[in-house]
Amino acid sequence: MTENTTPSAAPASNVAEAAVEPVGAPPSPMRETWAYFKTNRGAFTGLIVIGVILFLALTAQWIAPFDPIAQDRTAFLKPPIWMEGADPRYILGTDAVGRDILSRLIHGAQLSVSIGVAVVILSMIAGIVLGMVAGYFRGWIEVAVMRLMDIMLSLPSLIMALAIVAILGPGLENAMLAIAIVQLPHYVRLTRASVVSELNKEYVIASQIAGAGHTRQMFVNILPNCMAPLIVQGTLGISSAILDAAALGFLGLGAQPPLPEWGTMLSEAREFVGSAWWVITFPGLCILVTVLAFNLMGDGLRDALDPKMKR
Amino acid sequence: MLGFLFRRLGDIIPTFFGVTLLVFFLIRLIPGDPIIMLAGERSVEPERYAELQAQYGFDQPIIVQYFDYLVGVFQGDLGKSFVTKKPVIDEFLTLFPATVELALMGILFAVFIGVPLGVLAAINRGKWIDHLTMSISLTGYSMPIFWWALLLIMFFSTTLGWTPVSGRLSVMYFFEPVTGFMLIDSLLSGEKGAFTSAVSHLILPTVALGTIPMAVIARMTRSSMLEVLGEEYIRVARAKGIAPFRVIMIHALRNALIPVITVIGLQVGVLLGGAILTETIFSWPGIGKWIIEAMNRRDYPTIQGGILMIAFVVMSMNLIVDLLYGIVNPRIRYKR
Amino acid sequence: MALLEVKNLTVEFGSEDKPFRAVDSVSYSVDRGEVLGIVGESGSGKSVSSLAVMGLIDFPGRVTADALTFDGQDLLNMPAKRRRQITGKDIAMIFQDPMSALNPCFTVEAQIMEALKVHEGGNKKQRRERTLDLLNQVGIPDPKSRMTAYPHQLSGGMSQRIVIAMAIACNPRLLIADEPTTALDVTIQAQIIDLLLKLQEDSDMGLLLITHDLALVSEAANRIQVMYAGQLFESGPADSIFAAPRHPYTQALLEALPERSEGHDRLRTIPGVVPGQYDRPAGCLLAPRCRYANDQCLKARPEVTDFNGRDVRCFYPLNDQGQPTGMATGETVL
Repeated sequence: MTENTTPSAAPASNVAEAAVEPVGAPPSPMRETWAYFKTNRGAFTGLIVIGVILFLALTAQWIAPFDPIAQDRTAFLKPPIWMEGADPRYILGTDAVGRDILSRLIHGAQLSVSIGVAVVILSMIAGIVLGMVAGYFRGWIEVAVMRLMDIMLSLPSLIMALAIVAILGPGLENAMLAIAIVQLPHYVRLTRASVVSELNKEYVIASQIAGAGHTRQMFVNILPNCMAPLIVQGTLGISSAILDAAALGFLGLGAQPPLPEWGTMLSEAREFVGSAWWVITFPGLCILVTVLAFNLMGDGLRDALDPKMKR
Repeated sequence: MLGFLFRRLGDIIPTFFGVTLLVFFLIRLIPGDPIIMLAGERSVEPERYAELQAQYGFDQPIIVQYFDYLVGVFQGDLGKSFVTKKPVIDEFLTLFPATVELALMGILFAVFIGVPLGVLAAINRGKWIDHLTMSISLTGYSMPIFWWALLLIMFFSTTLGWTPVSGRLSVMYFFEPVTGFMLIDSLLSGEKGAFTSAVSHLILPTVALGTIPMAVIARMTRSSMLEVLGEEYIRVARAKGIAPFRVIMIHALRNALIPVITVIGLQVGVLLGGAILTETIFSWPGIGKWIIEAMNRRDYPTIQGGILMIAFVVMSMNLIVDLLYGIVNPRIRYKR
Repeated sequence: MALLEVKNLTVEFGSEDKPFRAVDSVSYSVDRGEVLGIVGESGSGKSVSSLAVMGLIDFPGRVTADALTFDGQDLLNMPAKRRRQITGKDIAMIFQDPMSALNPCFTVEAQIMEALKVHEGGNKKQRRERTLDLLNQVGIPDPKSRMTAYPHQLSGGMSQRIVIAMAIACNPRLLIADEPTTALDVTIQAQIIDLLLKLQEDSDMGLLLITHDLALVSEAANRIQVMYAGQLFESGPADSIFAAPRHPYTQALLEALPERSEGHDRLRTIPGVVPGQYDRPAGCLLAPRCRYANDQCLKARPEVTDFNGRDVRCFYPLNDQGQPTGMATGETVL
């Protein structure tokens, strides 16, 4: 009888073994997210492109063949080297005052990436503090903060940014500040929503009983549990910051010439729409590729973090 | 339905007051003396200064100033432009139809391209056509539209010569605006070729402006459609012996479009923001170009009034979309 | 000739080389005026087989059969358009959950009239009159006012009546009812079944009643098919199956009925669940759950055999006393 029971129990025990097989610690949340992320081809491509852009941005001083603002009076509007009449020194050609486009694009990467990252960090910190305070203390402070955010959201983001730049005056720093303010409501809303849902969880109540102060509760206990959606929003925020900064630059209200910001480059190149395609095509392509890469990565991150949020 | 309307109004009215407050303080936040800013003059004589102070009410307490401003707003008085000396509201109303025409065409483009793309992707889920459509959509979503507009001009206007570079109408035609919508006015004018000219001027700005909403709508339609296609009533419809095309177009799409409508509503803000760039590039005489010019000239009353009006338009559109949503979705219609 | 003839119907999902057989060589037939009950737990493939008959298995699924004919017409090899003319007209189907079977965006009237329009034509007035008739026929009180109602305004029982009205709109000759009462309140269940049987009798339809509820088929069906994990386990006339189950699975199902548990402290259950895609036993699919299973059952899969005039898929069919035949006593493993 006893040896007969073994085969019938076999399938069940096989399953059990298979489930227990990977002995040891469960995969860390980081590694698990990475495993999801890797399977997403688009997101992975985005990550690689971002890596390349970051590399270019960090090493711009050394790898750019020319000074981005140095003008060569012997080479105005030279086409890229595969075209007729090109100057072999300037791979992607030169602009109207004889600056090397490739060098300007590489330095532009530095500018755009710094703009994106700085704006998001600034906006995120302010947004997290405001959202945290609103969600944690509730009451009138929540009403006031959230109503202000509603008002800010009722204006199209570019118009809002323009209005702020109109107050502060044109320039790169002011444009960045304006974009950071425009992005603020997204982080505030996200943080508040997560905080409100976390607030009633037992670990919060437990540490409250253990005597944790408000600051500790907010930023040590609760905040780490709200980070997943904020990271996703931050990644997507970088892409929209780069896009908005370029738009402001294009309108002459962001980075000012001769800074090699991509939008500003486009603004200077506008008049050559009928004559020199390269001064227009390359800066825009850089914006598109960078924004696309951050969007791809943001989407991938969302998909990778989402199942965990549902769990 | 009426209760629903009132509840939405209850949300919107405080927000609108908030915007008036924001716009009111806009000028007071400008570094430097607002009077000198408002005067737009280099140096101001003391008598002129006092006169201006009284004219703009700066000698009053700030609460009174705001209240005066608010009363003005409700009477349709948004101040006078420094540059043209005309009432801001009049300038806005003259230019607004051009922007509406462009935005309307943009959203039509976005819906008529975006929805079919989304449906196509959903019914071919996982196949190359789905990947292609979604790649187009993601690219469109990431597109810097000012560059996109320049590319379009470069290709279709300067290289191929198919469309004009800028403006709303060829200089060969002139007629008094009746509705402010060039497509309608050109038809009303009876001038030969005027309508064709108006259409050819509209095409590129429409595509440039409609691209981002198109991408957003395509993505939303796809995911919403995929959800609906898994519903039991789709199977029931097929069990009735209805042709697959009709099942998709009538039974699935109708339900899938409900969330898409909300997304379309949210695109109104995107469109108005995009209109600033598009109008600047195509020299389209609408409020986007108007506001940018005002900003470059530091024409503060115009900036102030323009922003307030845009906020008003966005909020009204969102309200209308919410009501439309109730009409399309019977579950909402009867609940309230 | 039988109205519906199904011979060795197989439905596969997944990759070609490692397919999952949701339905595995199932055969049955339904005659005019006959009620065939198909019984099984969830996951037994009974719904999938009926969807295959309706032609509603989509691309990744593959349907094969030696014969799938309706009234002598080969359903599998006819053009899609011709098949759609039969689907919804001559063969109609009622689904499990009436609340999700109705399209939330359209009125009751529109959804019933749509089927009429596709198959019968006629003008709008005729279709509306017919719809009103149908609503009366399925016992909807105040049908006029219900015509313009939206699905979310109806209760579950009411919705199922609408779904039935929709199904019988074109006077089908075969009605497939897939768990028509599962999602309904107990009190409503009997009403709906009575309605279905009355409609079936009145118009001499064939009725394919799919359910996991043995008590229900025992009252309603002429013949019964018991399915398990995509396979036919036992079939035969309803009364004889209830009197003397030949398959251990049927026996266990019958014992699990509450009214047969008198004298026991607890309801008798069948331990375990129906095997899914990844945990198919090598031998008889029931073996891990069968109280009589022995070594042979664990190693080999039985074929359907004729036992005392009934089709049974078991190495050791049960005798009238409910004991396995052809097996030495004490050989069982569990």
